[in-house]
Parts: sequence; C-alpha cells; structure tokens
Amino acid sequence: MAENLPSEFDVIVIGTGLPESIIAAACSRSGQRVLHVDSRSYYGGNWASFSFSGLLSWLKEHQENSNILSECSAWQEKILENEEAIALSRRDKTIQHVEVFCYASQDLDEDVEEAGALQKNHASVTSAKSTEAADSACLPTEDESLSTASCEIPTEQTPRSDPKNALEVNDVEATGEKENRRDDKTCVPSTSEEETSENVPIAEDTAEQPKKNRITYSQIIKEGRRFNIDLVSKLLYSRGLLIDLLIKSNVSRYAEFKNITRILAFREGRVEQVPCSRADVFNSKQLTMVEKRMLMKFLTFCMDYEEYPDEYKAYEEISFSEYLKTQKLTPNLQYFVLHSIAMTSETASSTIDGLKATQNFLHCLGRYGNTPFLFPLYGQGELPQCFCRMCAVFGGIYCLRHSVQCLVVDKESGKCKAIIDHFGQRIIAKHFIVEDSYFSENTCSRVQYRQISRAVLVTDKSVLKSNSDQQISILTVPADEPGAFAVRVIELCSSTMTCMKGTYLVHLTCTSSKTAREDLEPVVQKLFTPYTETEIENEEVEKPRLLWALYFNMRDSSDVSRNSYNDLPSNVYVCSGPDCGLGNDNAVKQAEALFQQICPKEDFCPPPPNPEDIILEGDSLQPEALESSAIPEASSETPKESANLGNPEEPSE
Amino acid sequence: MMAIRELKVCLLGDTGVGKSSIVCRFVQDHFDHNISPTIGASFMTKTVPCGNELHKFLIWDTAGQERFHSLAPMYYRGSAAAVIVYDITKQDSFHTLKKWVKELKEHGPENIVMAIAGNKCDLSDIREVPLKDAKEYAESIGAVVVETSAKNAINIEELFQGISRQIPPLDPHENGKNGTIHVTQSHLQGGRRCC
Repeated sequence: MAENLPSEFDVIVIGTGLPESIIAAACSRSGQRVLHVDSRSYYGGNWASFSFSGLLSWLKEHQENSNILSECSAWQEKILENEEAIALSRRDKTIQHVEVFCYASQDLDEDVEEAGALQKNHASVTSAKSTEAADSACLPTEDESLSTASCEIPTEQTPRSDPKNALEVNDVEATGEKENRRDDKTCVPSTSEEETSENVPIAEDTAEQPKKNRITYSQIIKEGRRFNIDLVSKLLYSRGLLIDLLIKSNVSRYAEFKNITRILAFREGRVEQVPCSRADVFNSKQLTMVEKRMLMKFLTFCMDYEEYPDEYKAYEEISFSEYLKTQKLTPNLQYFVLHSIAMTSETASSTIDGLKATQNFLHCLGRYGNTPFLFPLYGQGELPQCFCRMCAVFGGIYCLRHSVQCLVVDKESGKCKAIIDHFGQRIIAKHFIVEDSYFSENTCSRVQYRQISRAVLVTDKSVLKSNSDQQISILTVPADEPGAFAVRVIELCSSTMTCMKGTYLVHLTCTSSKTAREDLEPVVQKLFTPYTETEIENEEVEKPRLLWALYFNMRDSSDVSRNSYNDLPSNVYVCSGPDCGLGNDNAVKQAEALFQQICPKEDFCPPPPNPEDIILEGDSLQPEALESSAIPEASSETPKESANLGNPEEPSE
Repeated sequence: MMAIRELKVCLLGDTGVGKSSIVCRFVQDHFDHNISPTIGASFMTKTVPCGNELHKFLIWDTAGQERFHSLAPMYYRGSAAAVIVYDITKQDSFHTLKKWVKELKEHGPENIVMAIAGNKCDLSDIREVPLKDAKEYAESIGAVVVETSAKNAINIEELFQGISRQIPPLDPHENGKNGTIHVTQSHLQGGRRCC
C-alpha cells in the first residue's frame, strides 16, 4: 500500500461492528479525527453479511484460525521504557461449534464457482467437528446424494482466482438471464450432464426431474452472490432506537428496507399466521367473532395500559402468562399474545414486562406496514457499513485488513496513548474503542461470556404457504422443556436480496444452552425436511425442504461489565459483539453511552448540516442549489415534486 | 410530464484522479483547484433528459474509503452505472482502473453500466496513457470510454450522456423494488396506529 496512514488521530476505533461503527460516525460527525480499522477483509465483524462463497471462506477462516501460530513480537521492541503494552488477540475466538450440512444434490462439477467470487479460496469446508457431525447427524435420508457431514466444496482453486477467468464467468452471469446462451458461453466446463441440464431448465430437463424447482448445490454456488447471509439475525423495530438514529443522522438514506410481512406462530405442529393489526384481526379466518372482539379489546387496552392501573395492578407479582389467563382470552389468543406479540415465554417475564413488550409491539405497528419490523435490503450487515460511510463522509479514515498488535500505555498516567499496527507503525490518539473480540485472553481471563446459538438454512419454500412467495416472516417457537430458550426463526424471501430466486434463507437464533446444533436442530426438524431427490407425491402437505444448513455458536459479550476486563486504561472503551435480542437497541445504547464519555455535551449524530453534502472551500454556491440537490425524501414522490428537486443550475432544465 | 428515473451512479478510481471534480463540474459546473480529498461530499444529484425519460443521477462519492482499499459493498448496491476514473498523466492510475473494474464485477450489480473517464485531458502534453489503450480496454469489457477534463469542462456532459444511452429501457414488468421502504424524516410524523 503506497500511502501511509497519518500517525495521529483523536479517536481510534478497532472493529467495524454496529456499535463501533455508530461511535465512529458520531465522533467523526462531531469533528473528531477518526481512524477506523478492522483486521478482517470485510466490514461488520460478527455483524457482517456474506455472499455464499464469502460465507464459505469465513467458515474456512474459522478453521484455519485455530492453527495460526502467534507471530513475531517485533512490536515489543517499540515499547519504550516508560510504557507498557496491552497485546491484542490475533485470533477470533468468538465462533465455535461450526457444522455444515449439504442436502442439495452436489453435482460432480468440479469447477463451479460463484460468479465474480473474489479471492475466495473454495477449499473444502469441513465442519469443525466433521467426523462427529457425520456420525451423529440427525436428519437422515435414504438418498445417497445427501452428505450429512461437511460439504465438499469444489476444490482448490488457486488462492487468487485468475482475474481474466473471473471476468469471463461474470460475463456469463450477466448474460445468463437468457438461459439458452449460457452453455456455449460458459467458461466453467460443464462436465456432468446433470449440470448441463440445469442450465436449460424447462426444455431439455431429463425425465427424472419432471418437476420444477430442483435446486442443486452447484446452482447455489453459482448464484452465490445473490445471497447475503447475516451472521446475526435481527430486525429493526419500526420505532426502535436504531430507526430513530438512522433517521436523525440521515444515515437512513444509505439503506433501503422491507417490512416484515407476517408474524407466525407454531402451535400443535402447525405454522399459522398471527393476526396483529386491526385489519389482520378482522380478516382472520382462524379467529371466531368472539375471539376477534376479545383480542381487539385486550390489544386496545395494552396500547395505553398505564392509564388503567386497576386492570393489572393486582397481577404485578405474577408472570405475564398467568396474567393472560385472568383476562378474557381464549388459550389460542393467550398463546398469540405471549409468544408472538410480547415474544416472551411462560416464565420469563412479569405482567409489567409483558404489557410493556406488547405495547411496544403495538406502537411499532403501522408505521411502515402491518407488522412492527423492518429488515434492511441486502441484510443486517449493511447497517454498520452505512454508519462507516457517514464517518468517512465527515473525514474518518478506513482501513480493513489492518490489525493492531498492541495498545501502548503510558506508565505514569496509566492512559493509553497509541497503538502499534501490523506494520509496526505507531499511531497516537486520545481515545481507543476496542471491540471485545480483539482483546487477548490475558485481558479477558475473568470474563464470563454467554453464547448465542445460530442456524442458517437455505430452503426451497416457505414455512407457511400463501398467495405470495415473497413473504418475510418471523416465528417464535417456544422452548419444549424448562430451562431451554425460545427459538426465533426469521424467514427471508429473495426480494430482500439475501437469497437466490426460488429459495428462502432461514435464520434461527436462541440463547445457547448447548451447542448450536443441539439447541436448534429439534426446531429445524419440526419445520423442515431434508432435501431428497425423490418427489413426494402429496406436495400440499410437504414441509419445506432443507437444501443447506449451517450451525454455529457465537460469543455474546453484550452483558459483560467493563470491570471484568483486566487492567484497561480509562481511555480504552469496550464495545460488545452482537447480543441475542431481536432489536438493535443494545448496540445503539452502548454506542451513545460511550460517545457521551468521549465527547461529553456533544450531540449524538445530529442531522447533517443543511446543505449538507458538499463542503467546498471558497465556494460560491447558493444554498438553495445545494439543498435541492440533496436526495429527496423517498416518500411517494410525485413527478411534479421531483421536477422541482432538480438543480436550478442545471442547463438541462 | 416526462417520467423520472432515479439512477444511482457510483464513482471509482484512485485517490486524486479527479472523481469529485468530475461530479462537481457535471452537477454544479464548477471547478476548484484546491479541492481537498473528498470530505463531506457524499452524493449529489442531477437530472438530464434522455429520450422520453428524465434520468436523475444520484451520484455517490467514495468518501475517501478507497484510499486504503476499504470501500464497503453497500457502496455498489443498486448502482445502475459506475464511472471509473483514471488520470491520463498517470499510467499507474490506468493500471489500477482494471482492479476497480474487477472489484465492480465482484461486488457490483450484474448489469451495471460502466463508463471509463480518462480525466485531466487538458494535460495531454504530459500524457502517459494513450487513448488507444483505454479504448481497447473499454471495448474488451463493454464500457463507455471518454477522455475528460473537469477543469476545462471537456466531455463531462458527454460522459453522462453516454451512460444515459446505455441504460436499458425501463422494464414495465420489473417489480423487484416493490414494497421497498425508505426510512426518512417524513415518516416521523404520521404513523397511523392500527389498533
């Protein structure tokens, strides 16, 4: 890299997860000189989203990771006599128990590669405990093409895929819409017949595949860039702190969202839709007239429950589920309110907590649609990037693939004064924000972490059929046994830009009791069936089929008190990794609190100045011109309005 | 009333080749000799007629994130076109142009229109990159190419007209963007409640 980093900043932020990115944006916005680094090659840390090949590389890294030898300690020579160093970790230890299962048929096509895949080295992805996984795989099927253990990803490319080759593949991809042109143009040698037939879906399909919708593993690989697979699965409450911050700071202009279209419940072995808006309740076919009235009455009360203390004061001591039993609600309705609206469990929350959660849910309804939730197009991983862009717009400097060897502490003052990066460069600053996973074992020896259990599934249809195949659903599956945790299931369709057409991306999340697979597989088995080649006659009752599944545990550092870390100077601030909750409030609260420590009395991410976008020195532009060139609000913009939004200086008008 | 189509355009190219200057010239017909590396500018818009449509370009600047090769994938999301800029007086910048094209192929949308701008053509006496090389390369990747001078306002309009012409006509069946929500201030008020 030809350019050298400046050697002095006000704030250095290490890690590009959501809280770090928000702090970086806030600091930069209020005039601090910010250096924002990440040792990884991508934004977001454990908040990132990946294309399919990106995810495979990530999996691979997490296996290689474990045998990195601790490298040079040359930086130690750079520590002066009156200084001490806090070494940072060289390994990411936040991901454990990675297990991958491929159910889709794996053609013998060796060279299949995601179009445009970059420096992705498709080596075989083996589960961290592949043999064990193979032995104990619990989703058996007769089909021989099922490989329960690790999937063999088409093998060993040279680490840097030949650029020319990549371009060609990409060309194919671009023209690939016209399926019939694909075969002769493709530079991926189509060795297997099956593969060839894939490319000509209707016409020449062989007799064994009379039905549409047959998705092979090589198709997933080829269409891999259509996937944006989140490591953490969250949604935005439409009146949550993150939405408010996005709007206030105008960072929202960098992202687009989809409304979650359905709230689902899983009862008695069936998936059903939960009516939650007024319209839903009235249109519901599953509720009786009486139930509709009961539910509306109860929900109306919850909207401003505080005003009717008589209704709940007597029940404050008991759990919300017990309280619901005292209300005029059928068991059906109690279930909906408890699990799908308040999203709590039999025992977890008190009456007040349950009422608050219900109220929050109801308040978020209708702001953007009929459910309280939004999901960012291209995945949750866009959000840290949006804040990073805001930071950069106000002068923050960005360096990915940039690791920090140590923090340098001044012995006398006890404060951190600099970092030494992987080039041995010393960069000084006043404040240091470090994401939990960057700390070494020495620093974290007393820290107790919780874990999050995660599963990512690629499936062939929705858990609940409806007249649209583009539904985005959230489903809470209550715990089966006491002590276990409810599992949150979020099913994304292809229009969220997170999976290829004809597939669904399903995220399962819960607080860990055991390994991710042990925690989540029972729910996966309830909702899905492994993919098999043989067509099952009765398609109507068939569960969605699993094409691919990944399980892993992620460290949850959200609950860790700062005091649990050893010997941190007062100007080193800790950001946590993702928490297990559905919303993002935790990240925003954390960012705001740390920002207030660093910049007391400063406004947190105020709206950009208006005219905001352009700072030109000695500029003679009229403010109106600039203002009008700002992007318009995207609220149903009429042509007339838009015409007025053009730049008055434009010669074209 | 002509239909307005919003087209996101992202800028790529090495630091210092004149990305911001090109946009500044295009949008504001303005050139600043001392323009600092992109700070504070994130995007600008300009509307130009094209056939029976109006093309409203939403031009995103890199915000300097290209400096240490840390552009975020979100930068390319939904781009209709990319303007990839090199400096005709710097062979290096033409060399890295190819890297940007590769990056775009990897992270950008599939049908993105690419336009290559050889900027600083007012300095052709110290030229290092022959126009022929640029044309050959552009042809090989199916990109529009033009030499520009943001300073002297040469070919800037043409660059964007070239992009306009390459934009495929609007597909009436295309409904991928249906139901996409932009979260903005205007939603702060309102907020009808359902219950």
